[in-house]
Amino acid sequence: MIESLFVLSPTGKVIIEKHWHELIPRRVVDYFNEQVSKAMTEGEDVTREDVLPIIASPKYQLINVYRDGLTYLSPVTKEVDPMMVFEFLHRIPDILQEYFGQVSETVIKENFVTVYQLLEEMMDDGFPLTTEPNSLKEIVPAPNILNKVVTTLGATTSVSTRKMPHGMSNLPWRKAGVKYNSNEIFFDIVEEIDAIVDSTGKAVSCEAHGTIQTNSRLSGMPDLTLSFVNPRLVDDCSFHQSVRFNKWESDKVLSFVPPDGHFRLMSYRVNLPSQQNLPIQVKPSINIGANGAKFDITVSLRSTDGKPVENIVLTLPLHKSTTTLTAQCNVGQYMFDPVGKVLRWDVGKIVPRERAPVISGSFGFGSASDAAANAGYNIGVEFLINSHSLSGLKVDVLKLFNESYKPYKGVRTMTKAGRYQVRA
Amino acid sequence: MADFLRQNAGRFFANNKKGENAELLADLNSEYRDRRKDAVKRVIANMTVGKDVSSLFPQVVKNMQTEDLEMKKLVYLYLMNYAKSNPDLVILAVNTFVKDTDHVNPLIRALAIRTMGCIRVDKILDHICEPLRKCLQDDNPYVRKTAAIGVAKLWDLDQERALENGFVTVLQDLVSDSNPMVVANAVTALAEMQESSVSKDVFVVNVAIMNKMLAALNECTEWGQIAILTSLADYRPLDSKEAENVCERVIPRLQHANGSVVLSAIRVLMIFMRYIKSEDFIKGMIKKMSPPLVSLLASAPEVQYVSLRNINLILQKRPDILQNDVRVFFCKYNDPPYVKREKLEIIIKLCNDKNIEQILSELKEYASEVDVEFVRKAVRAIGRCAIMIDEASERCVNVLLDLINTKVNYVVQEAIIVIKDIFRKYPKRYEAIIPTLCQNLDSLDEPEAKGSLIWIIGEYAERIENADELIENFLETFLEENSQVQLQLLTATVKLFLKKPAQSQEIVHRVLQTATNEIDNPDTRDRAYVYWRLLSTDPQAAKAVVLSDKPPISVETRTISPALMDELINNISTLASVYHKPPKAFMGNRAFSADAVKTAAAADARDEEQIIGDAVLDASGAPAPKNVMTDLLDLDFGSSEPAYTSPPVSSSKPASNNGPNYSADLFDMSSDMSGSSSSVFGGMGGMGGMGGMQQQQTQHQQQAPPPARNDPFGDLGGLGGFGQPPQQQQQQPTKPTQSSAENDLLGLF
Repeated sequence: MIESLFVLSPTGKVIIEKHWHELIPRRVVDYFNEQVSKAMTEGEDVTREDVLPIIASPKYQLINVYRDGLTYLSPVTKEVDPMMVFEFLHRIPDILQEYFGQVSETVIKENFVTVYQLLEEMMDDGFPLTTEPNSLKEIVPAPNILNKVVTTLGATTSVSTRKMPHGMSNLPWRKAGVKYNSNEIFFDIVEEIDAIVDSTGKAVSCEAHGTIQTNSRLSGMPDLTLSFVNPRLVDDCSFHQSVRFNKWESDKVLSFVPPDGHFRLMSYRVNLPSQQNLPIQVKPSINIGANGAKFDITVSLRSTDGKPVENIVLTLPLHKSTTTLTAQCNVGQYMFDPVGKVLRWDVGKIVPRERAPVISGSFGFGSASDAAANAGYNIGVEFLINSHSLSGLKVDVLKLFNESYKPYKGVRTMTKAGRYQVRA
Repeated sequence: MADFLRQNAGRFFANNKKGENAELLADLNSEYRDRRKDAVKRVIANMTVGKDVSSLFPQVVKNMQTEDLEMKKLVYLYLMNYAKSNPDLVILAVNTFVKDTDHVNPLIRALAIRTMGCIRVDKILDHICEPLRKCLQDDNPYVRKTAAIGVAKLWDLDQERALENGFVTVLQDLVSDSNPMVVANAVTALAEMQESSVSKDVFVVNVAIMNKMLAALNECTEWGQIAILTSLADYRPLDSKEAENVCERVIPRLQHANGSVVLSAIRVLMIFMRYIKSEDFIKGMIKKMSPPLVSLLASAPEVQYVSLRNINLILQKRPDILQNDVRVFFCKYNDPPYVKREKLEIIIKLCNDKNIEQILSELKEYASEVDVEFVRKAVRAIGRCAIMIDEASERCVNVLLDLINTKVNYVVQEAIIVIKDIFRKYPKRYEAIIPTLCQNLDSLDEPEAKGSLIWIIGEYAERIENADELIENFLETFLEENSQVQLQLLTATVKLFLKKPAQSQEIVHRVLQTATNEIDNPDTRDRAYVYWRLLSTDPQAAKAVVLSDKPPISVETRTISPALMDELINNISTLASVYHKPPKAFMGNRAFSADAVKTAAAADARDEEQIIGDAVLDASGAPAPKNVMTDLLDLDFGSSEPAYTSPPVSSSKPASNNGPNYSADLFDMSSDMSGSSSSVFGGMGGMGGMGGMQQQQTQHQQQAPPPARNDPFGDLGGLGGFGQPPQQQQQQPTKPTQSSAENDLLGLF
């Protein structure tokens, strides 16, 4: 049972609190803040992200999620499924994002009433209720420009007040009577590459996490079947509630009646072999002495089917004792953050067969130390490739049953770096 | 009511914030609906930032009588919030609630019954029963499912009333409802009620209920699935066939994006697996469980943390899972430290002779990270690999030597501690590296690392040309050292003397003299006495005792006893599985279930202690409290790394025995006594008693300790615990071959 929720600002102040069961006094927040600051003073580079997500207090287990500067804290008094609490707590900013486009202290304060209504709908007596954004939007209307104008003008706003809540139709995720003039459905296949690459360019671990984001604008009760050219590639997958699991088990096709609007049809994971051809190669060389180091990093394209790689950004966190850095790069621009001790290089776009971007330079430690000289270096890499799927998963055909119209269908693919890092 | 309202309003206006509330009051009474609506919104906003708007209560409630759904919902929102803090105020609106449970709009009916349930005062009981009964039988599933939770709320207030009104029976019937969401909520409510019920007969999952839950499982929301899976886990299948059937229905849930659904499904599978006879079926299940567990590691760090703690458990139960997936547990540099440490634990558990190469290069990588605590763990992990996998030990040693050459202080110290264990496991195999270790002598400042190097020097004194110089070097600061180092120095010096008497007679004499005369620590002093007398009585016996073979060590990757293990498997995806402790151990005063309490009590005390030690370490980053006794008797090292265990241990030692003061007291006593009797074995007897860990044993030296339990501190306890009178004990050292166990233990000195 998730009894209460406190949303805390970056300074630890309560922005919003909600009690679904009994009232839990605010004192618990003070205790929590103390524990967090205590944990953060234990080491010099302990950040807020490093604080344990479950903290025991004499009376409560303080389950908390830290996201975008805000803490979602749920103190529990009884044994609970912590995974469920985390999933639920993460769902809150997800939904706020969906409603307001961004999540911050200000956004929550400006939309108190809506946020409250949402929290009320998402949970009853400590048990999660409705968390599907599509269903929520019918019960709690999202603020839009029209709404705002109407409210300020003082006109009537009974636009969405007569709708029936969910749980009425046999398909809880789809409302009845959807009607569009032009029927269309779009699939966005986005693959994020999680990889650890060693300094020789070999992948120590490498996997692709794909999602199929769908935007369905189809009338009536369409029954769809989406098939892939090579579904056996997928090592693990999970589906939207609408997907008939047995069909996937037997025929490896996605058979479903889609919800209306945006939803995530499928998530999948593909293990990539260590000899996998990665789209780009980052070649770092860092020569460290007791007082500092010389470095150069080269980026080159490997296998992208001739597609350009865009938005390449390299970040190199440096040792805490680093005080100075000088560098030059032939492409893009770099920035050294002397407080966070991070070198960030915006490379931009690389087109096949152009000269390889290089950055080289040196950095110095404030004082000589063995620890700094022996520290390992890791480079975080970001990039994006349009119309490319690293795993090679490909949509074959989409068939529509139960409705007579011919919908417009669109499929886009994109590969980008997820947690992609190169060890120097 | 009118009086009350006026009073309330009056009090308010006398107080503060006249301006804003007066304005709101005016707006709430406005003739324009939208102005009123806007005012209610502002009231709610004020309420959420903690301003007192209770004085506006009557005006807000007045706006409840409206056909405008949005307005109605806003007022309900206001009331819902006040229901917790000011239930007495909210109950004034109860008639409107009751009326609204007959509203044409099911949303309003549900809202009304939901809000009524949130008013947690006894007075509501008189009003809620009839509407609740009506709503439980509503045509609309949304209303029914809301009412189902309403029963749990009523139950929480007054179990008697809920039973009398037959709500429990109605709820049990709702498990057969045609709508899966209603089934899920009924299950949720019943499970919650079962937990707090006295008779424990509110919700007992039987075959019929199980089948209904399975039927609803695919269709309901993710949260409903969690509730159903959690309740399924309480069912015990009748036979293997039934267990297989349930598992087949549950396996598709592994393919859910919600980590809690996945882990809840895994809990059911792990429990039902016990009943399945077909090995092939189990193999198939294990194979299907791996990919979803791996996928969880791509989620948010908090989810990863819970997953990793649970994977750790599952791996101890089923080491065949995730066999080919070690790569996914490799740490990213920006993983939070709590994730990294858990990943490291799992990497070691998955280590085998096929992937050791890969794992070693990974561990070496971690040793250059910035997080000191993590680096130490990585270095220790290399040692554990060496001890687990014989063929890999040489590569591990080479990696450790590379690390020592980095000269990073804490890495060097940790590596030396680890190498000491490797020397124990593989005696005489890696002597060649001793010179390299000795080069780092001056940089050691941690007692454990110092002690380790001293132990190595003593153990290999005959092979180290300048062993006496090295020992001499350490002895310069003998009196300032921590007692652990002092003990090691004593033992090492005696070893040196026994191996090279010519060079070291002077040293050993000096050390024993200093230790007995100048050191106040009874541990050190007593040991010095023992050695001295041993050496002066019978040097041959001393040799046999001090230089005997050590008991082998092994790495125990399974740190949890089978009984506790089974209970933790029953609790996969709960806080118990995160702490690796039975729920009772951390959920304060609240008994979780009769079963849990029983097994918890039966759970192996030693295991619990280890796990608790781990948890303390994780939670605070501070080292776990050391068991001084273990330090003294098991090579002076054992306890800080629970994974190393001397062989067969099974214990049920009293909880109080890990208090360092206690054991120190014991030693004090025994040393006084040995002093007065001036007998070598007086001291020994005292120690034996102390090993046996019962204070009264040491009350009187002549009194033989009662037959003692096997004791994790090893065999010294055994000596005291054999129940032999001290006279007999006195003869033992002269017949050193009498009992190998005793030799082992004495060899530690």
